[in-house]
Amino acid sequence: MTRAPGAASYRPRSSGSVPPGSLHGVPTSSAGLPKAAVDRLRDIETVTHAGLAHLGVEELLVELLDRVRNVLDADTAAVLLLDGPNEQLIATAARGIEEEVYQGARVPLGRGFAGRIATTRRPAAIVDVADADVVNPVLRENGVRSLLGVPLLAGGELLGVLHVGSIALRRFDDMDVELLQMVADRIALAVTVVQSDTERKASTLLQRSLLPQRLPRVPGLDVGVRYIAGGGGTVGGDWYDLFTLPTGRVCIAVGDVVGRGLRAAAVMGRMRSSLRAHALGHQGDPALVIDLVDRQLRHFDPDEMATVVVAVLEPSFDRLHLSSAGHPPPLLAAGDGPARYLEVAHDPPLGVAPRRRRRSVTVDLPPGAVVCFYTDGLVERRNRSLEDRFELLQKAVLPAPAEQVCTTVMGQMIGLEPAADDVALLVVRRADSRTEPLEMTVPAVPSSLSVIRAAVRRWLDDAGAGPVDVTDILLAVGESTTNVVEHAYGPAGGTVSVRVELDAPDVIVTVRDTGQWRSPRGSNRGRGTSIMEATGDAFVIDHGPEGTEVVIRRRLDIGRSGA
Amino acid sequence: MTDARVEAATEDGRVRIALSGEVDLDNAGDVEAELARAISNQATLVSINLAGVAYLDSVGLRVLFHLVERLATLQIAVELVAPMGSPSRRVVELSGLAALVPLEPPLEGGAPA
Repeated sequence: MTRAPGAASYRPRSSGSVPPGSLHGVPTSSAGLPKAAVDRLRDIETVTHAGLAHLGVEELLVELLDRVRNVLDADTAAVLLLDGPNEQLIATAARGIEEEVYQGARVPLGRGFAGRIATTRRPAAIVDVADADVVNPVLRENGVRSLLGVPLLAGGELLGVLHVGSIALRRFDDMDVELLQMVADRIALAVTVVQSDTERKASTLLQRSLLPQRLPRVPGLDVGVRYIAGGGGTVGGDWYDLFTLPTGRVCIAVGDVVGRGLRAAAVMGRMRSSLRAHALGHQGDPALVIDLVDRQLRHFDPDEMATVVVAVLEPSFDRLHLSSAGHPPPLLAAGDGPARYLEVAHDPPLGVAPRRRRRSVTVDLPPGAVVCFYTDGLVERRNRSLEDRFELLQKAVLPAPAEQVCTTVMGQMIGLEPAADDVALLVVRRADSRTEPLEMTVPAVPSSLSVIRAAVRRWLDDAGAGPVDVTDILLAVGESTTNVVEHAYGPAGGTVSVRVELDAPDVIVTVRDTGQWRSPRGSNRGRGTSIMEATGDAFVIDHGPEGTEVVIRRRLDIGRSGA
Repeated sequence: MTDARVEAATEDGRVRIALSGEVDLDNAGDVEAELARAISNQATLVSINLAGVAYLDSVGLRVLFHLVERLATLQIAVELVAPMGSPSRRVVELSGLAALVPLEPPLEGGAPA
């Protein structure tokens, strides 16, 4: 046993001698612990059991420390908990010297009274702090003269240090040490239970708050997601994301941070925002986005590792660019054939410096095609061959509505047996203009106009409309939606809904608002109406009490003269 | 955010402006300001080429009408270039703008008086 300078490391002694002048000597009974102390110890046990249910760690400790003071007849009691990554003890609860906590006192491991108890994991006592190396001035300032401290250990893990202090000079005896260590063990147990419960709740909350509450509705894309926490409800670092970029591209990401619990969930949150930021900056190339996220992870979280697949959909939705960092390959289902695994390049996971440039692949995405992204929790099952599982997944993915695909995949892959690991699943399906109308509702603001046009243009191209039809229908949609933005609502604003459907060979466009019609202002508006009239074959405006509806019908493929 | 570009080159008082991208309610004000900046008081002729315009509606026309009016007051000549079959050609023809300024290529059946 090493003897730390200044502190009297505890050694069992035959008798607990109390120095003269001490007012706090504990009378010992022949049966081991003093009877009074045993009763008080019971007091602590009551708290540890009753307290767990509703108290947080700090509240529970304060409650316990009062009783510790009572049991040991001490003036002060404090718990410092280990902040592992920083190799420091942080004053978490204190009685008699509360300011220690208010000031967030920190003691480096190995230094001072508490720091050495943490390092040696052995009890220690100081008879007179005047002679000792005590890091925290709060103790001296409060006139604390003698100290006794023990490690808080749970399952061999150091949680922190518990110490008590006496204003009068006092030599703590081995009975005191034994008693304090028993209390410390109970506190450690209580802290572990509360901490793991808190961590579980916190990580679940964090995971929930970090996953998108609601994915954006992208006109022309049908999206379904599933997320389930595996392993008895502890969350891991799985995540999914889907967002639009200003150029009309859509970015999709599904990833998995190695590890579980609060830490993995927090890393996942950072990765998700870093991926969004880099996708915004480098819109086209998913390999480049992954590379930047990887650099960021390796620099700021060098101990973490993650896999991710990033897909960027072109504004036309015709092609999907993908890159994978050690993530299982997504599936594509299109047409009548079976779904196939996309041949993404096997580049290393995030957190591992790649030897060469990351690679992207491009795949065609015909109307009606489905792409299925997932994390490994979906395919990995104990005692099952991975090959079989991949084959099962392949059969479950069909070119069907996204929600339906999600339900089928979860039913086939998870079934009645809960997954051991987290599972994230994201299914996107490109809508088919030939059979599905375009429906969108967006805020009635100027910046929505280009979003509406992009969606309508994409829908018309898929439906096979020629360039003259596209120009005219876009004009009709543009004029009627501009009308809504400019005239339908007061300062509180509102939304504009657009529906485009095929009634072959006609296209029917319906633009709706829920505002109060106001006559157009300014010299320009008559021009807008005449454009709408000229571009449609039939054009009806209906001003009702619940809003205005404009219906434009246009026959496709009719050659038009200019005027 | 709707994107449009205004590129201008001036030579001997002739200002050639190429407008491209999309013009709608979202960016019409910016486009109007950029067009005004591109034209100095020394200009004698302004030629606005709409070939690169992918979308233009009555809000964009309002910008062009304002500009044409303003240039008439300043006695600066103006012409519009809108290739046949381009999206802007359709709108310009529908709007009657061609009755105020020369349009290149001219309207079929000759420019209106």
